[in-house]
Parts: sequence; C-alpha cells; structure tokens
Amino acid sequence: MEKVIIIRYSELHLKGKNRGWFERVFAVNMEKSLKGTKHEIHRHSGRYLIENFNEKDIQLICDKLKKVFGIHSYSVALKVSTDMDEIFKAAKEVSFKDGSFKVETHRADKSFPLNSMQISAEIGGRLLDINEKLKVDVHNPQFIINIDLRENGTALVFNEFFKGAGGMPVGTSGKGLLLISGGIDSPVAGHMIAKRGMVLEGIHFHSYPYTNMQAKEKVIELAKTLSVYTCGMNLHIVSVTHIQEEIHKKCNGDYMVTLLRRFMMRIAEQVAEKCGAQCLITGESLAQVASQTVEGMTSSNSVIKNLPVLRPLCGFDKDEIIERSRAIGTYDISIQPYEDCCTVFLPKHPVTRPKLADVLAEEAKLDVDKLLNEAMATLEIIKI
Amino acid sequence: MIYLDNAATEKPDKKCITAAEKYLFEEYFNPSGLYKSGYNLHLELKEARRNILTRIADENNFSLVFTSGGTEADNQAVFCGGRRGNVVTTSGEHSAIFSAVNELKQRGIEIRFANLNSDGSVNEEHLLSLVDEKTSLVSVIHVNNETGAINDIFSIAQKVKEKNKYTLFHSDGVQAFGKIAFKLNNNIDLYTINAHKIGAIKGCGGLIKKKNLQIKPYLYGGGQEQGLRSGTENVFAVKCFEFAALDRYSKLEENYKKVSELNKTMRKLLDSELFTVLSSENASPYILSIAAKGVRGETILHEADDNGLIIGTGSACSSNQKKRYSRVVLSCGVDEITADGVLRISFSPENTLEEVKAAADILNKIVANRKRIMA
Repeated sequence: MEKVIIIRYSELHLKGKNRGWFERVFAVNMEKSLKGTKHEIHRHSGRYLIENFNEKDIQLICDKLKKVFGIHSYSVALKVSTDMDEIFKAAKEVSFKDGSFKVETHRADKSFPLNSMQISAEIGGRLLDINEKLKVDVHNPQFIINIDLRENGTALVFNEFFKGAGGMPVGTSGKGLLLISGGIDSPVAGHMIAKRGMVLEGIHFHSYPYTNMQAKEKVIELAKTLSVYTCGMNLHIVSVTHIQEEIHKKCNGDYMVTLLRRFMMRIAEQVAEKCGAQCLITGESLAQVASQTVEGMTSSNSVIKNLPVLRPLCGFDKDEIIERSRAIGTYDISIQPYEDCCTVFLPKHPVTRPKLADVLAEEAKLDVDKLLNEAMATLEIIKI
Repeated sequence: MIYLDNAATEKPDKKCITAAEKYLFEEYFNPSGLYKSGYNLHLELKEARRNILTRIADENNFSLVFTSGGTEADNQAVFCGGRRGNVVTTSGEHSAIFSAVNELKQRGIEIRFANLNSDGSVNEEHLLSLVDEKTSLVSVIHVNNETGAINDIFSIAQKVKEKNKYTLFHSDGVQAFGKIAFKLNNNIDLYTINAHKIGAIKGCGGLIKKKNLQIKPYLYGGGQEQGLRSGTENVFAVKCFEFAALDRYSKLEENYKKVSELNKTMRKLLDSELFTVLSSENASPYILSIAAKGVRGETILHEADDNGLIIGTGSACSSNQKKRYSRVVLSCGVDEITADGVLRISFSPENTLEEVKAAADILNKIVANRKRIMA
C-alpha cells in the first residue's frame, strides 16, 4: 500500500477557458515549494496527487504544502487497486481503534460492479466484523473513512481533510509592488494579496546613517518569510535620507511624514513601472496612526499617476493584524527593535488631517524631481 | 581602518594565538582524560589558572573558575551569590548584571539599585545605606564600561562588610583586568574577568572566588572546574587568555601611560563646541565617553564607519523611546538630548597617536556637517 497526498484546489474550477493555465501555474508553484524533496506530481480529474515520496518526508511535504496558495484542502491517503479485499485492508489501516464511524464512497469509475452505497456498506460491515469497539453512526460519526474509486483502476482511502492555504495560485493575478517597512502590517498586507494569486516584489526605504544595517536585515528576513508563500521575491531598497534632510531643512517639520510618504509613493510607482508591477500594496490600516487617516491617504495617493494602490488592511484592527502576522510567521521578526526610516526626524505633532493645498505649498519648497532622481540612483535590488 | 571600540572587543594578539595554536591541532585531548595526554592538559590548565589568577590575587586565598566569558561569570555570581533577602547593586552595571538581577527579582529577591555620581561611579553613601542585615550580595562594577569611571571597590567592600559581614561582595572587572593596577583583598568574594578584552579570544572568561567561599554551581554536568562549571574546558581559549594576561601585566604601567596619552590627545583635539566629554579626568584612560549635542550617536557611528573609523555608542538602538538612551548614561543625570548623542571611544595599547589625531578630525568634521544639516 502506497501513501499519496491528495491535493484539492480552491476556485480553479470556476475558471472557464483559462483553467488549463491556472492549473499549470498551480503545479509549477507546488513543484517550486517541494524542490529538494523526492516526489512526483500527477493531475487527475479535478485534483492533484503527490506520489513516490519517501514516507519519512510526509510531514515536511505537508508543512510546505500548507504555504502554497490555491490548495483548498489535502489528505494523506492509501493508494490501492480497486479490489474489495485491498480496499478493506486500506480501510482497516486508516480506521481508528474504537468509536463511531461511517464510510463514504465516491465512484468515478462507473463500471465498477458495486455502487457507492454498496461499497460503503460492504467495507463498513467488514470493519464491524473484526472490531467490536467500532459502531456505525451516519449522522454524527467520530471519523469518516473516505473511499475514492478513480477511473484508472486505483482506489484512494483516507480519513482526514486538512485545510490548505486557500486562495489562488501565485502568478495568476499579475504582479504587485509591496511597500515593506519592517513593521507588523506590511508583510500581512503582502500575504493577503499574494493569497489572491499576485506575484510580489518588495520595496523598502531606509535612512542610513540615521538608521542601521540591522533594520535592513530585518526587512530582508521579513521578505524571506513572505517569499515562501510567494515563490520568491525581489526586494528593492532605496535611501530616502537626503529627502528627509531636505524636508527637515526646508519645510514645516509637522509635515515630515506626510511629505515623505508622497515621495515614497512616487518612488514606488517608478520602481513598479521598471519591474512590471501593476499595482502598489501598502499595509495602511485606516486611522491606525497619524498618517493613516483618509486625508493622509488622499495626500499620498494624489501623487500616483497610473497604478491602483491596494490597502488590504484598511478594515482591520491592530490585534487582527497581529494574529495574522503570527500565523504567517512574520510577527517575531517585525517586533525586533530596529527603527525604520519613519521614526527619524519624527515631529512631535504630526499633521493628522493634512489639507492637500497646504501639503502642496510645503512641497513647493523642495526640488521634487531632483530628490526623486537622487533617491532612484540609490536603488539596490536583492533577490530573495 | 582605525579601530577605537576596544572596550567592545580587542583585536586578538597574534603572538598569543600562535603560541596557543598547538592546543587546537596537537594537544586536542580532553583534559579530563585519564591517559597521559589528557593529564598533561589538565596540568596546562592548572598552570594557566595560576598564571592568570596571580596577576591580581593571592593564590592561597583565591581560586579561578573558567567560564564562557564575563556574562556567564556575572550570572553565576548573581544567581549563586544572591539566593535570599535582598541584593544591592548599582545603576551603572553592565547588562550581564542588570538583566540577571532583574530575573532574580522575578524569583522573589528584592533588588536595590544605588545611584550614580555624574561621572558614572557609584554614590558610595547611597549604596551603603541600602545594605542591611538581609543583604546577601552586593555587586559593584569595577570600571564602568560606558564612562570608564573607576569605583573604589576595596573601600566599598570593606564598608559593606562592616555593615554586614555575611554579605558577599562581587565586582565585574571586565574593563579593569589587564588595564589598571590593583590586587584583590579579602573583602572581595567574587570577581569577574574576561579574555577577549585584553587581546585573547571570545568565549572565555573567569570568575575569581575566595577559596573558602561555598557557592553553588551555575552549570551542572561532568564536574569540571572544581564542580563549579561543568563542561569540557576550552583549553585553546584558556591558554590564549593566559598568554594575553601575562603579556598585559608585563607592561601594565607602560600601556597605561601610552593609553593615557591617547586619551588626553583625543580630549584635546575634539572640538569642545561640538562635543561634551562625559568621562571624568580620573576615569580609566581606556574608555572615553563623549556626547555630540543634538546629533544622534548612532548616526555619527555609521558615518564614521563609512569614513574608516570604528567607534561605539553609549546607547542601544531601539524604537522604544524610553529605551533609546543608555540607562547608565541617564543614571549619571545626563539630559536626554545629550544622552542621544553619546559615543564611546575606547583605546588599546596598539592604537597610535596618529590614529587618534585622524579619528578626532573625522569626528569633528562629521558632527559639524550633521549640525549644519539638522539645524
């Protein structure tokens, strides 16, 4: 009896003529995720089977699959021939030692002499014969033995469904550029968008020498953690030191964050165009901090020329974001105490509801194009 | 590259490492082995122990337990010395003591912190007022690792013993050993030393303890180090430590004079318009704490680094505003703006006057430029 893993996918069945393409991307992503572990992936009507792996790797493979978007659920199953004795042996194997159960059968192979109900009854009866501690309960069973008869003369027998990461395969929804700060929010925002099938690239702004190398390293660590879900990632790193110094020198200090965010958005849009990203993604959550008011967003959004800006966390509370960041494994990295560029030159009383006219008046004191070009010249790309 | 962060660690002394090399590749045996090669190493360790210990203490009254470094020795002193009542220490301790006593507090021991004088030395009077009949341990840093202030631990220990003769007295001597002249006396029960601050390698240190003092082990296992610190001895590191200690103590005075000269030159050359010197005149010359008013220390550190000068800050970087400043520097009564600009320059006898002159020049230029930008 060979162990296999059954992979069921989420919404791919909703797709029409594109379905083949979706399925191919999905398979490639699974291959990437399982790279380095012996296995074979085969597609069988509406699901994938992972076969020919070493049994000791089963936990490792399942852990990796949990991070592949597009998987709705998966099961570890025994693969046997469609011989009733063989199926019974497998059912015996996956059965609990005691408790109530039922047998559910799917019969894709309609040429099989027994129908689904008859197979379930036969296998269930035989199990009861050999184990007195089992009893049948079709309404509220403690476990279910699933029997899946495939067209190719094999049967899959299993007793559990594990929840997958859900979503769409990464690579089926275009490419986005994530503004990643080193805080808790932005990796969560990236994760949510990647879950809907988007390939991510990251952009990080630093203010060396006002901030240190550890802050940058922290962002690289965050990107690494995120890249497991996104099948790799490029991280673009840009220095905004001189921009902050110029704002500090020439503008009203209370507008530091407001003005800086406008520069960040402009730089991000330029980088996005360079790397082929079709949207920007930020970790902004409405009203979380001074700059994340709707007025603040209006101010930073108004510099964007073409791209949509996705802000998936807008409706989340901080504790909801923290919960997600723990689940994806970025929380412990995010809380390391290294400052990102936002806290240097931080005003005591930042403007919380900036009026666009005032912002523009402050910004007029700066040579915006020159500062942008200088910042773009510091661009460094790290392949994660 | 000019390296002036010697209080963090010193460049290993090549001749000490070379001399100890044979303990890596030839004499690699376990000193607990009963065969001759093992036994010989046991004797080598004994010699190293004696040679290091006798630089600062009488071997009839003191013994030395090798540890993985200063932090472990400090932890052993705290957790094995402060087992009941209250523990008195200073606000100027290294984190190895500070964090350890905070853990002790979690375990139900009362911790009392003595205030500092403006130069970072402990306020003796305040410290003594905290000692009572229930004090099980007093720990006072010998040379403050941020300001270089020297505490007169011998006078303090004597007064502590006069108040409560059962109180154990510990001192963290990591920045004193091999740098300033002193001899331990009977009022000192426990004393921490470290190898890599005097040109040996990292991962090695020791806790000197009075011979008749009974303390519990901190690590349990095979019973090495008189049962007080189990774990196979790092013979190579210990021998490096021995050679470095012998070397440093053979020219202690000469080094002291040289480093004092470097320190004085640095003080003279730093622009007094830009920098405030926090270390007092009679601090250890090996450490010079300065502050650039209005410019963050870490920013200067990075820029100096980019210009080929390595120095330290007095502050640990943290986005938590309360933690951004060094707790030690704040305890000296320094305001937050000054504390934000604290830098630590620390010398070794290997540094030269030319290096110091160049370093002062770099620092003056950086801070003048930053002030212009930040103004």
